[in-house]
Amino acid sequence: MESNKKYWKGLEEYKNTPDFVENSKNEFAEPLPIEDVLNEAGLSTVTPRRDFLKALGFGLGAVTLAACQTAPIHKSIPYLIKPEEVTPGIPNYYTSSYNGQSILVKTREGRPIKIEVNPNAGAFNRGTDARTQASVLDLYDVSKLRSPVLKNEETTWAKVDAFVKQALTSAQSSGKKIAIVSSTINSPSTKAVIADFIVKYPAAKLVQYDAVSYTGIIQANKNSFGKAVLPKYNFDKADFILSFGADFLGTWINGESFISQYTSNRNYKSLENKKMSRHIQFESGMSVTGTNADTRVPIKLSEEGPALIALYNAITGQSLAGGTLGSNAMADKVIKLAAKELTQSKGKGLVVCGSNDVSTQILVNAINVAIGSYGSTIDLDNPCNLFGGNDAEFAELIAEMNRGEVGAVLFLNSNPVYDSIDTKKFTDALAKVPSKISFSDRSDETASLCDAIAIDHNYLESWGDASAYEGTISIVQPTINPVFNSRQAEESLLTWADAPEKSYYKYVRSAWEAKVLPSLSLTWEDVLEKGIVNLPAKTAVAYNFSLALDSVTTTILNNSKALNKDIQVQLYESIGIRDGKHGNNAFMQELPDPVTKVTWDNYVALSHKTAESLKVSEFDVVNVKGSNGYSIDLPVLIQPGQAQGTASIAVGYGRTKAGKAGNSVGQNAYPLASFVNGTLQYAGTVTITATGGHHELAQTQTHHSIEGRNIIREASFKDYLKNPAAGTGNSEEKKKEYAENDLWPDYVKLGNNWVMAIDLNACTGCGACVVACNVENNVPVVGRDEVRRRREMHWIRIDRYYSYDDNGKEVTKERQIDHLENFDNVSVVYQPMLCQHCDHAPCETVCPVLATVHSSDGLNHMAYNRCVGTRYCANNCPYKVRRFNWFNYWNDSRFDNYLNNEFTQLVLNPDVTTRSRGVMEKCSMCIQRIQAGKLKAKIEKRPLKDGDITMACQQACPANAIIFGDSNDPKSEVSIALKSERIYYVLEEINVKPGIGYMTKIRNIDTTIQAAEA
Amino acid sequence: MRDISMILKSVRNSLFLFTAISVLAVSTVSAQDAKEGRTLFKAKCSSCHALDAKLIGPALTGVSDRHPEAFLLKWIPNSQGLVASGDPAAVKLYNENGKIAMTSFPELDEGKVKSILAYIKEGEPKPVAAAGGAAPVQDDTVSGLSIAGIIGIILVAIVILVILARAGKLLERLILQKQGIETEDDMPLSVGVRKMFRNKKFVLFFVLCIAIALGSWGWMGMWNTGVHTGYQPVQPIKFSHELHAGINQIDCQYCHNGAFKSKNATIPSLNVCMNCHKAVQARDKYDGQISPEIQKIYNALGYDPETQKYDPNQQKPMEWVRVHNLPDFAYFNHSQHVVVAADAIRKAKGLQPNEPVCYACHGPVNTMEEIYQYSPLTMKWCINCHKETDISGQKDNAFYTKVIEAHEKIKKGEKITPALLGGLECGKCHY
Repeated sequence: MESNKKYWKGLEEYKNTPDFVENSKNEFAEPLPIEDVLNEAGLSTVTPRRDFLKALGFGLGAVTLAACQTAPIHKSIPYLIKPEEVTPGIPNYYTSSYNGQSILVKTREGRPIKIEVNPNAGAFNRGTDARTQASVLDLYDVSKLRSPVLKNEETTWAKVDAFVKQALTSAQSSGKKIAIVSSTINSPSTKAVIADFIVKYPAAKLVQYDAVSYTGIIQANKNSFGKAVLPKYNFDKADFILSFGADFLGTWINGESFISQYTSNRNYKSLENKKMSRHIQFESGMSVTGTNADTRVPIKLSEEGPALIALYNAITGQSLAGGTLGSNAMADKVIKLAAKELTQSKGKGLVVCGSNDVSTQILVNAINVAIGSYGSTIDLDNPCNLFGGNDAEFAELIAEMNRGEVGAVLFLNSNPVYDSIDTKKFTDALAKVPSKISFSDRSDETASLCDAIAIDHNYLESWGDASAYEGTISIVQPTINPVFNSRQAEESLLTWADAPEKSYYKYVRSAWEAKVLPSLSLTWEDVLEKGIVNLPAKTAVAYNFSLALDSVTTTILNNSKALNKDIQVQLYESIGIRDGKHGNNAFMQELPDPVTKVTWDNYVALSHKTAESLKVSEFDVVNVKGSNGYSIDLPVLIQPGQAQGTASIAVGYGRTKAGKAGNSVGQNAYPLASFVNGTLQYAGTVTITATGGHHELAQTQTHHSIEGRNIIREASFKDYLKNPAAGTGNSEEKKKEYAENDLWPDYVKLGNNWVMAIDLNACTGCGACVVACNVENNVPVVGRDEVRRRREMHWIRIDRYYSYDDNGKEVTKERQIDHLENFDNVSVVYQPMLCQHCDHAPCETVCPVLATVHSSDGLNHMAYNRCVGTRYCANNCPYKVRRFNWFNYWNDSRFDNYLNNEFTQLVLNPDVTTRSRGVMEKCSMCIQRIQAGKLKAKIEKRPLKDGDITMACQQACPANAIIFGDSNDPKSEVSIALKSERIYYVLEEINVKPGIGYMTKIRNIDTTIQAAEA
Repeated sequence: MRDISMILKSVRNSLFLFTAISVLAVSTVSAQDAKEGRTLFKAKCSSCHALDAKLIGPALTGVSDRHPEAFLLKWIPNSQGLVASGDPAAVKLYNENGKIAMTSFPELDEGKVKSILAYIKEGEPKPVAAAGGAAPVQDDTVSGLSIAGIIGIILVAIVILVILARAGKLLERLILQKQGIETEDDMPLSVGVRKMFRNKKFVLFFVLCIAIALGSWGWMGMWNTGVHTGYQPVQPIKFSHELHAGINQIDCQYCHNGAFKSKNATIPSLNVCMNCHKAVQARDKYDGQISPEIQKIYNALGYDPETQKYDPNQQKPMEWVRVHNLPDFAYFNHSQHVVVAADAIRKAKGLQPNEPVCYACHGPVNTMEEIYQYSPLTMKWCINCHKETDISGQKDNAFYTKVIEAHEKIKKGEKITPALLGGLECGKCHY
C-alpha cells in the first residue's frame, strides 16, 4: 500500500503561489545576469580588433607574469618543546562535560576542534545535542575580552584582585549583603568554592536563577512531596506519554537525553519487537516535540489548565470544578481517550507539563500519582541538577538591591540585564549597588555595567566537575591552555576569599580524592580517563500525595481566565539559541529551527486564521505589545498547527552586546514574561497590530520543491503490525521494472560498500547532525542575507514535511482547498537529506570536467580542485543536496561574523579542505573518517570491523536514527537495518540507486483519536 | 713564472706534510693510547664532560695537572665509593661540583682510565687535512652553472668548427689555385646566408625547427610549472642531513617520529635536538667555542650552556622553510606509506635492505648536506607509483587479505596495484 498523502514543505508550496512556482523552477535563486549582459553590451556589439588584441595581449602577459612567480615560502614551525602526548596529525581525546553531559573533546595539535560522545556516558547519552556540538566555536570567539577589565579599561589581575577584595571587605564591614547571582550550578566543586567564599564573607549569599525557569516544578514537588527537586524523568519506561506544552524532545530540561530515552521505544529495533510507545501532545505553538507526537492537539494556553483538570477528573473519577473544555471538542475527546489509556497502563504512563506555574505542576503531580508514575517513569530520589533556580529569591534580590541593602554583586554565568523580565527595573536596582563584578567572558549587557569583569575561562580551558543528576558526577578538564588572560571564576573566588588552596585544579582534585574516589576505589587518572562516575543509585521511596486540590484548581482557573483575552502569547526557547547565553555562536544562529526552518531571527508565529483576523500576512512586521506595556516589532510567520488565537515568540534573541554574530538578531522577548505567584510565567497576553513594515525571514524550507513526488512514506503502527512493509510502496513488480529500465551496467564493489540507513521514526528533527557536520567538515556559515538567497551550505539538512491524514481517501483538489481553511491539525515528518551517494549518480554524468566521480567503495567523490563551477551537477541532482560556494567565506569581510579572522579559523578541521569560491561541495560521507578508520586497521593489520568508522552526523544523533556501515559485510548493523521491510529509497523510480535507505515513519495513532480528528 | 710558483707551492705542501708526519711519528707511542682513550671518552664521558667547557661536569683539560694520577685512577671508576669512604680530596671535589653524583664505571680498568687520561692530555687530534692547505671541496651536484658551461663549450666548439671549416676551404682553394684550377670568387658570408634564405625548402625547414624547439621548450616549461624538484631553500640552521643521517647513522625516526604514526613526518621539536646537543657542541671545530649553528638551538630555547638553565622568556620559534610542499587539497599520510606499504615501496623503488624506506621519495638523504626536494611531488608522480607498485605482498596484512582475494577472483594473474584497489580515485587524496 503506497501512501496517498500529500506532503508539502511550506504554505507557499501548498497554495502553489506564483512566486513559489517561479522560484522552484530554478536550482539557484538568482540566475547569473547573462541575458542583461548580452542585451546591453554583450555579444550584440562588435568587439574592435584593437580591443581584442589588447585583451589578448594583457591576458598573455598576465598569465606569463603569474607563471613566473616562484613558489611561495611556506614556514614550518615545530614545537620548541613538544608535549609528550602530542603527535602532529593525530588527534587526542579528552573527557570533559558540557551542560552536565559527559563528552569527549577531540583536539588536534593542542586545539579543541570537535565535541564527541563519551562512550562511558551511559545508555541514554548516546548522542550530543546541537548546542554541545556548536560549543567548540565559543572558544574561538573573537568577541571575547582578552584581559580582565576594571572600570572599562583592560588591566591586570593584581589590580582587579585588589579592587574586588577592597569592595568585598567594605561591603562586609558596612553590614551590607554580598550577592553571587548565578544560573543554576550543578558542579559540586563550584558549590564548595562558593561555600568557602561565604565562610570568608558571611554576608555573601548565592542566588540562583534561570532565564528559562523550572521553579514551578521544583516548588510543586516541595508542596506535594516535601522535596524541592526537579525529578528525573524516564521516558524510556513510558509506554504512554502525555505532554502539555513540554518540549521535552527539544529544550525542556534535558532534551538530548530525553530523545535517547524516547526513541528507544520507537526506533527500528523497538519496532522489530512490535513495540512502540504512544505520545500525545497538547500545545499551542508547534514545537519539535509536538511534531513528533502520534497525536498533536492544538489548544490555547488558557485551555491547558481546564484540560489538566479534565484529565484528572477522567482518571480519578473525581469532579474538580472547571474541567470542561467547552469549545475544543477534539481536545475533550482526546483527553478522555488518553485518560483511559493512562489508567490501563498503570506505572507505564507519564504526564509532563511545560508550565512554570506551581499550581499547574501540583495538579500534574496529582495525575502522575494517580497513574503510578512515581518510582517508574518519574524518579524523585535521583533528581536532576540542571535547573534549580528560584524565581522568588531572585525577585527578592532585586528588591534588596533597590533598597540599597546589597553592597556587592557578582554575576557568575548570568546576564540578568538581558534576560530578566524587566531590564529597566534591574538596571535601576543595579545602579544602587556600590560594587558590581562580572565573570563574563565578554562585555555583555550586564558585564558592561559592572565595575570589574574578571573574565572566566571557556569550559574547554577549565577544570571542574558537573553533576547533571544526583549520583552521577562527570569531570571537566581543560583541553587547551587559556587563550587569553582569563582566570577561572572559581579560582578568582578562591583568591578573593584568601583560600589556602588557590589553584582550582588542586581544589577539584583533592575534593574528588577525599569525597568521591575512595568509595569507588578509583584513582584520579581513572576518572580523567572515564570522564564520568556513577554512584550507587538511591532506591525509590514511596511518595504520598495528600494535598487538597481545590485551592490549586482555583488558581489554575484564575490564571486561565486571565489568559483568555487578546492574543495569548507563549514564550519558548528555540532549539538553536535557547536562552540566548550563547547567542554569538554562528553555527547556532544558522541552524534552521526544526519546525519553521527560520535562521538568524525570531518572529511571531501565528495561525493562518489568526493572521487573517489581524489582517496581516507572512513576513509583515507587527507590533507585539505585552500586558505590561513592553512592545517589540517582529515579523509574522504563518505556522500550520499553531492554535488559533495564540502566538509564539522565541526568547534568547535581541542581544545587544553578544558579539559580531549575535548582536541585533531578532528582538528580546523576555520582558513579555511576567512574575505571577512566585514564579515566572511564559504564557501571557499581547495585542498585535500591523506596522506596515516587511521583513523577509531567512528560511531554508522552501528552497527546493518536491514537485509533488512521493518521497515520504509512512504507515500507522496498526498497519505496520499487520504488514511491516506497509506504506513503503515497495513491490516486486516495481523492482523488476526498475531493473529492466536501468541505463547503466552494475558495478561490482569488491571491497567495502559504504551505505547508510536512516530511521524516519527515530529522527526527531533536533538538528544535532547538522551542526556536527558543520564542525566536522568545515561547512561555512553564510549569514541571513545569503540564506534568503537560498545559498546555505549545510551538507545535511532536515526536511520537514506537513501533511494531512485523509484516512486513505484520494487526495483531490477539493479536499486540498477544504484544508486551506484549517491548518491546525497537520502532522509532520522529518527527513534528514544528504548526498545519497547514488550508484548511478546523475550529477556524475553531467560534470564536464569529471570533478565528481564514483569510487569503488560506493561513494560519490567531489574533487574541489577539479571543479570549475558549472553547477550542472546541482541542477541535475534530484535530491538537491549540492551546495555552491558563492564566496570565499573564510576570507571575505562580508562574513565577519564567522570565520573571517585567524583566531576563529583555529576551529577548522585540518583533515578537510576549506573550499574556495566557485566550487561545488556536498556530503562526502565523512571520507576523512573512513580513510582514518581504514588506515588504523591497516596499521594494526586487522580487517575493518563494523563500528570502526562513524559519521559525524551518526555520532551526534541522540536518537540513533542514522546507521552507517559497509553493506558488503552481511553482519554489519547497516546491512541488517537495510534488510528491514520498512526500508524504501527516495525517488527509487528514477533508478539512480541511492546508497541511503530510509525507514518508513510509523505513527502509533489511536484509531478512535483518528476518528476524532477527522 | 707560473711554473716556478707551482713548484714553490708543491714544495710548501710537501714540507707541511712532512712536518705533520714527523710530529705524528714522534707521538705515535702515546697516540695509540690516546686513540683508545678518545673512543672511550666519547662513549662514557662525553654526555657529562667536555675537554674545554663545563657541561654537567667540569671541563677536563689539565685534569692530570689538577689531581694526582693515583687519585684519578680511583675516582673515575667509582667516585661515589670514594666519597662515601670519606676521602677528603674526593669529598672536596664532590662538594665543589654542586654535589652531582658522577656515574660509576666499574668496567673501566686501570689501563682504560690511563688511555682516557692520555687522550685528555693530548687533546682532540688536529685533522691532518687541515695542515695540507685548503683542500678543494668536491661539488658533484649538477648546478645551473655547469649546464651553462656545457652549453658554452658546445657553442665555442661550433664556432671553432665553423672557423676550421672556413680555413679548410681556404686552404683547399689555395691548393686548387696553385694547381691552376680557377674557382668561383669567394662570396661573402652574408651573400651566402641571403642565398640560403631564398631557398624556400630551407626556410620551411628552419621555421619548423624553431617552432618545434620553442614549442617543446614551452610544453616542457608548462609541465614543470609549479614543480620544484631540487628546491633547496636556505634554512635558519645549516642542518646537515649528511652528517646526522649519513655519517652518524641516526635513524630517520629519531627526529621525524611522526612518520610511522601520523600523516605528518613532523619536524623535530628542539628538545629532540637537545637530547644530543646538550653535550655535543662541536667546540673542537670552532676553537673551543660552541658551534654557531648549535648556538642557534640554544638561542631559540633560551638555553644558557653555562648555567644549563632554560629561560622561557627568551624562547622564540624556529622558523624552518618547508621543503616538501603539497597543496592543501592533497591529503598525504606518511604512516600509510612507510608502515603499511613499506615492503611494496622498497621493492618497487629497489631500495637496499639497509636503506630506510624514506629514501624512496626523499632520495639519498644521507648524502644531502642541506635537504632538497628530490621527487617532483606532482600528481602524475603519485599516480605512476600507485599504478605500478605491486602490492600483492600485502595479503599478509589481515586488512587487505579479503580485499585482494576478492579482486584476484576477477583479475587473475594481473598485478595487484593500489590503483586496482581504488588508489586512483579522486576522493582518496582530495577531501
